[in-house]
Amino acid sequence: MNTPERSAAFILDDDQEKIEYAADTKVSNAGTFTFNKEDHTVGNLLRMQLLRDPTVKFAGYKHPHPLVHKILLKIQTTSSQRLPTEALSAAIEDLSNETDHLITQVTEAIDKWKKENDTGMLGM
Amino acid sequence: MPQQRFPKVEVLSVAPHFISFILSETDTSMANAIRRIMIAEVPTLAIDLVEYHENSSVLNDEYIAHRLGLIPIRFTPEGSMRRVPGGDCHQAFLPHRECVCYDRCPRCSVEFELDVNFDRVNQTRPEQERDLPLTVTSTDLKSNNPLVAPAHFLNEEEQDESHDEGISIVKLGPGQHLKLKAFARMGISKEHAKWCPVAVATYRFWPIITINAEACGMLTMEQKQELVDACPDRILELDEATGNLVPAENAYEMATFTEDLKTTQEAMKKRPEDEDFVSVVQSTDRFVFSVESTGAMDAEDILLSSLRVLKDRLNYLASEVENGLK
Repeated sequence: MNTPERSAAFILDDDQEKIEYAADTKVSNAGTFTFNKEDHTVGNLLRMQLLRDPTVKFAGYKHPHPLVHKILLKIQTTSSQRLPTEALSAAIEDLSNETDHLITQVTEAIDKWKKENDTGMLGM
Repeated sequence: MPQQRFPKVEVLSVAPHFISFILSETDTSMANAIRRIMIAEVPTLAIDLVEYHENSSVLNDEYIAHRLGLIPIRFTPEGSMRRVPGGDCHQAFLPHRECVCYDRCPRCSVEFELDVNFDRVNQTRPEQERDLPLTVTSTDLKSNNPLVAPAHFLNEEEQDESHDEGISIVKLGPGQHLKLKAFARMGISKEHAKWCPVAVATYRFWPIITINAEACGMLTMEQKQELVDACPDRILELDEATGNLVPAENAYEMATFTEDLKTTQEAMKKRPEDEDFVSVVQSTDRFVFSVESTGAMDAEDILLSSLRVLKDRLNYLASEVENGLK
């Protein structure tokens, strides 16, 4: 009766922002990003990419509750010259380039496999 | 300073409904993101709305609607030259929530009609089959879009082995009639599992098998044989010519990282702190994927589609960070 819509897991609520940012009040160069309607797929991907950045001192994410469709990503950078937002932008861009690279890699690998194992699938 | 990686992909096998490949030079977060997207976020078509005109079958309306939903619906793009048409439907249809139409339209839905009347079909059946129950299958669903049809079978082999002409929906007896209109929409399986394009999407870690030749030199042939026999996955072999332990040819397919080798070799060591004779550990940057399709899309297209979904998502987030956080 009061079941939430299944689509609430991936469609933003009315007037909801995709990403919200709150600077940390106690720690300098730190802040928490709230990604609405995201889950471990993006959370873990961003965290692992941020941890590879030498200007990032801390990066961690949590998915507060399985029925709360958001993740909280906390970033602390090493200096005030580097904002958490900049580190996040760089991480997203690197991941986007990596995915681009993967798309070409996959396409090439499949075509190569099909040439080597000509099963007659090509012309079909 | 960019921290970009350049992952490598090696294909092990491709069939229309199955793909297996090795992803390397990246980490688990990327492998897991690809797996999760293939399972939950690749858009496909599935029947989402059913209008009943007549149902005198033994199953009630909801039961049949649920069964219709689970039938894989395949989209075949027009004039696809590259290979067997795959079925990534994301450009061909709009998600129904984003469509401007009032209820439904050809841009966001596909209409199927089904009309099976036992008595009418019975007259045309051969003598020996007459009056036997009639199975309504997915082949009775008639689509209004020539590019969209139910995926009755994964391949010809399955079709030859099957007793039915398609996916069974319900059996009709004398006097029973089923007439309905069904509407397929594009969706993702975060909403309902019927939109899931994969039956199986898994990855396993590549095993790194290290054999310490020096330490193994101390073992007798019996002990080596004992190590070979200890592993339930049979990842070790004894080289007949040299008497050395070697990894089996297809060890990477079989290794399941059991503890048996470890416990057996602990007993063989003179001192507990001695080096391991053989070690099998999980690689952190090399993954063996297997993806099996339900028939709604070709396996290779599921993979490519998942990467596209990931790329679109990241670009969307990038623009939100740029513009939204001011």
